[in-house]
Amino acid sequence: MVFNQQRDLLDMVQNFSQFFCHESCGFCTPCRVGGTLMRNLVEKVAAGHATSYDLDEMKNIGLVMQNTAHCGLGATAANPVLNTLNKFPDIYTTRLAHTGYEPAFNLDASLEISRQITGRDDEGAHIRDE
Amino acid sequence: MISDKTFRIDGKKIPFQDGDTIMDAALRAGEYIPHLCHNPEFKPNGSCRVCVIETNGRHVSACNQPAIENMEVDNSSDAIMNLRRSLLQMLFVEGNHVCPACEKSGACQLQAVAYYTRMLSPHFTHFFPCRDVDATHPEIAIDFNRCILCKLCVRASRDVDKKNVFFISGRGINSRLVINSPSGKLGDSDVAVTDKAVAVCPVGAILPKHKGYEKPIGERMYDNKPISIVGDVAAKFSSKIYSKDVSTK
Repeated sequence: MVFNQQRDLLDMVQNFSQFFCHESCGFCTPCRVGGTLMRNLVEKVAAGHATSYDLDEMKNIGLVMQNTAHCGLGATAANPVLNTLNKFPDIYTTRLAHTGYEPAFNLDASLEISRQITGRDDEGAHIRDE
Repeated sequence: MISDKTFRIDGKKIPFQDGDTIMDAALRAGEYIPHLCHNPEFKPNGSCRVCVIETNGRHVSACNQPAIENMEVDNSSDAIMNLRRSLLQMLFVEGNHVCPACEKSGACQLQAVAYYTRMLSPHFTHFFPCRDVDATHPEIAIDFNRCILCKLCVRASRDVDKKNVFFISGRGINSRLVINSPSGKLGDSDVAVTDKAVAVCPVGAILPKHKGYEKPIGERMYDNKPISIVGDVAAKFSSKIYSKDVSTK
């Protein structure tokens, strides 16, 4: 595949992981679940919420998919992620939030329902980024 | 008659007949290969992938890979166990498996295999899917939260009960177990509590009603011995294969 320098490779990876997630027939565990976990992690990177821990996770999930999937689709579905992690790590590392732990969801946003129920919107009802 | 052909699992000689899968021969020899969707009474499915083994540099599922003379099978290395543990963890986060609140806890094959692979946590991000509980049948309840899509009920209902009550619908992560009845509810289907499809469920998805906690925690099938010795949840209904293990230990 040929891309010019204006192409955002992570955009391409996101597209692929979404494609394989959608194309998975759902028969075997690694492709059905692993493919979806992988897509979610790629989206986490793209959203700027990921950490280096998540990149290791992607490598592990990719390894499980390559080695245990039932058919060729599942076995190769992780390749766009694994190949770019190997050859173009910068597209991931430049987007990492920090090198520690980061939850998969937005803490403050997930309190929204509670704020609505209690009618609160004061500072104590929010979790702000430091 | 067992032929004199053999292959090796972790160095141990396993006799096999032509047409045997690796799993067939291993079960007969009493050599445990972890599995969830396999039941020797039914045609191999090969969907859970938990029986992954390595042979000749390739990873294959033991339940549908034919045995070949003199092949060397890796069934217990750290690399293989790590793959299996990851698959188990994927199954745990895909559904809603709350062991402490589950009637099947202690007699659940998913839980038992997880213990066998030394799984300590679900590890991956939970999907927390919204799934229903169908209690419309007078004698059977089905909790879709606990379904692992092993298709054993699908196969049993089709091949043994001849009722075709269960099917898998949807694709990818949206695959789900559905009931073949006009309303889609279990109470509206032909299923009976004596059906094979009810007996083969390896997890707490399909449960007979009116007998909750009949056996106390502590005395359940996997409470004191691991699955490698006790055998499958559904094995007691049919299989002679694990009887050797059960009687000798």
